[in-house]
Amino acid sequence: MQSILYPGGIPLWRNVVFIQWVVQIISAIVVIAIVSGFIFNVANEIQDREIPFGFSFLDEAAQIPIGESVIDYDPSESYLYGFTVAALNTVKASVLGVVLATMLGIIIGVSRLSSNWLLSRLALVYIDTFRNIPLLIQLLFWFLIILELPNVREGYVFFDAFYLNNSGFYLPWATPLGGFWPWAILTAVGILAAIVAYNVLNRREIETGKSSYPIIAGFIIIFVVTIIGLIIFTPLELVVPERQEGPFGRLQGGARWSGSFFALLIGLVVYTSAFIAEIVRAGIQAVNRGQTEAARSLGLNTNNSLRFVIFPQALRVIIPPLISQYLNLTKNSSLAAAIGYPDLVSVSTTMTQIAPAISLIGMVMVTYLAMSLFYSLVGNIYNRITRYAGVG
Amino acid sequence: MTETTQPNHAMKHALATILTLTAATILFTACTSDSGANEIAVERAQSTAEAAIIAHNDAISERDAAIQRADQAEKSANRLAVIKERGDVVCSTGNDTPGFHSLDASGQSVGFDVDLCRAVAAAVLGDADAVEFRFTDLVERGPALQSGEIDLMNLTTTWTSTRDVAWGNFAPVMFYDGQGFMATKASGVTSALQLGGAAVCVTAGTTTELNLADYFRQNNLGYSPTVFEQSDVAFDSYTAGQCDAFTTDRSALASLLTTLPNPDEHLILPEIVYEEPLTPVIPHGDEAWFDVVKIVMAGIIYAEAYGIDSTNVDVMAAGDNVKAKRLLGSEGDFGQEALGLEKTFMQDVIKQVGNYGEIYERNLGTDGIGLPRKGRNDLWINGGQIYAAPLR
Repeated sequence: MQSILYPGGIPLWRNVVFIQWVVQIISAIVVIAIVSGFIFNVANEIQDREIPFGFSFLDEAAQIPIGESVIDYDPSESYLYGFTVAALNTVKASVLGVVLATMLGIIIGVSRLSSNWLLSRLALVYIDTFRNIPLLIQLLFWFLIILELPNVREGYVFFDAFYLNNSGFYLPWATPLGGFWPWAILTAVGILAAIVAYNVLNRREIETGKSSYPIIAGFIIIFVVTIIGLIIFTPLELVVPERQEGPFGRLQGGARWSGSFFALLIGLVVYTSAFIAEIVRAGIQAVNRGQTEAARSLGLNTNNSLRFVIFPQALRVIIPPLISQYLNLTKNSSLAAAIGYPDLVSVSTTMTQIAPAISLIGMVMVTYLAMSLFYSLVGNIYNRITRYAGVG
Repeated sequence: MTETTQPNHAMKHALATILTLTAATILFTACTSDSGANEIAVERAQSTAEAAIIAHNDAISERDAAIQRADQAEKSANRLAVIKERGDVVCSTGNDTPGFHSLDASGQSVGFDVDLCRAVAAAVLGDADAVEFRFTDLVERGPALQSGEIDLMNLTTTWTSTRDVAWGNFAPVMFYDGQGFMATKASGVTSALQLGGAAVCVTAGTTTELNLADYFRQNNLGYSPTVFEQSDVAFDSYTAGQCDAFTTDRSALASLLTTLPNPDEHLILPEIVYEEPLTPVIPHGDEAWFDVVKIVMAGIIYAEAYGIDSTNVDVMAAGDNVKAKRLLGSEGDFGQEALGLEKTFMQDVIKQVGNYGEIYERNLGTDGIGLPRKGRNDLWINGGQIYAAPLR
């Protein structure tokens, strides 16, 4: 191409493609140099200071105490098993936290936009308070509140089956019997049927405009199938917590949500929901006001215009930052060590007393990364489904 | 959607343009000599620039060499010289266990551990206050020693075989401790063997945490552990009744008992669950510095045995006790100069910090948290186990 400035063609140093390549190569070299610098430094120091490193310890008995676990744990189990127990504790806090924080966040986010002055101001105060206090302080705050509850011998008892005290919340819990798996499969089929029914009825409602109650129908199907399964297979046995003999009067059986877990869950949910509320608000406000007006002029009531018009469009804006809040919640759960919940970081810190610290920190990092990537993957798939087709 | 994607594109574009322009400017200025108009000036400028670059490079390589020499000095077994040059001893300790290490009303570090740091500083630099205290979490003790960033650690550290291999060199035992349990009198428990079914609070990153698991497993007792990162939260959790028992070194239990508003309601159970010999620790890799610390510790032990205390140093130095005169450096020699210390360094230590008995009484004994000294922590001449290599 002839240019007025450069009759002989564009010189190399003005060639955009060339310059971009040079910049790319230089940045690549810098990044590689920094990373390899780190790696060599660590490798050298490990050798110089004779810091132990390796993974052979994973088969040995961990011999460490872990207070609560999703699967049975005994100190004679291996390090690998102990690490898995801790990872599951983190998963438990993370999954429950994500579900509850989302629910609470949506409610508060919508309240923030409510035309009710009191409600929207309360939501504003909630958001500004909990978003602006460091999470560790909040966790200790909730933990100290739970410590103020009466102890396990003097705590509250409901229906002789639910116990609330500063050691935690004890509730009846089902343990699986022989018929568990057939029942589980039947229930899964029921859930699938409910999803299909929801879609069919939902489409009918949109096409014909007749109320077809898709949500209610879905829940009824799940409920009926589950109950039928329970009657046929007797898959579960309900175990009620009971007081042990002896001086301490601790409770045994059923499920226990320890005080530490409670404090962690409340802290994570309250803190994260404040962020989610703002994301939800931003998402709804990002939908053009004309959309609401159009929906209303079509005759949709407030609920339906939210459900069919506003929310589907708001979701596109909400999902990406929401995923990053889920990742934050998962990573924030590592503060649990401060309040005595045996999460991944807490347990692996205990393990480093005997096992090599560098290996364990590496494993912890990989585990968090895996969890975060999983959330990202699920979120991105969902994002791909909900976004407008044809827009990059 | 196109509206929302545009800013992103625009930003990328702007960034690319800025980068390209920067790169282009650099290339352009480098190539202006092509124009031929100012060739001589350019050449001169170039030679000046080259000279500047050479000078700069020389300065850099000189600085690098200096850094390397400093590194060598730090690494190659001459910590004593580094400390003398720096003018203070970096000593890792804590601030949360009265008697061993805590802060007094004026914010000064006081305690048994702190005095041992001060004794080393007095020996090496002649000034007991030439100490830089680093407050270290219990879980960070291993990394702090392995990195070699501290000269000495006095942090109620139990000497164990794994730690000896991985952490550093352990000096003579300065305090014989044992792990014990504290429980409320109201529970009616009088022996650790009655703790079956109890909830036990413990601090993370300690041998007590591991011994706890061992003890209950050994005795076939069920229990539920709660592990906290910080000992004060763990102890709060016990006093609030979330745990039925609290476990740590028995001396620390006694010390914590003094902080309670109602010490009469708690009981330290008689069982000693595990041996906990507490010693100063020195990072690996410097035998001479390790020897210095060992011999300072031996010095304060023998000073007590010979009847030298902070009030009579000058009298003893001029007196007729041959052993005392050798210890104080007024006659004979026990290898002070070979270690790289002043011949009379023990005079500084005893005058400024005191002998073992004085340090004990001031912090742990009658003037401190009231731990009776009889038993293992008495001098060997009184039937105890406090003993060190003879100074000859």
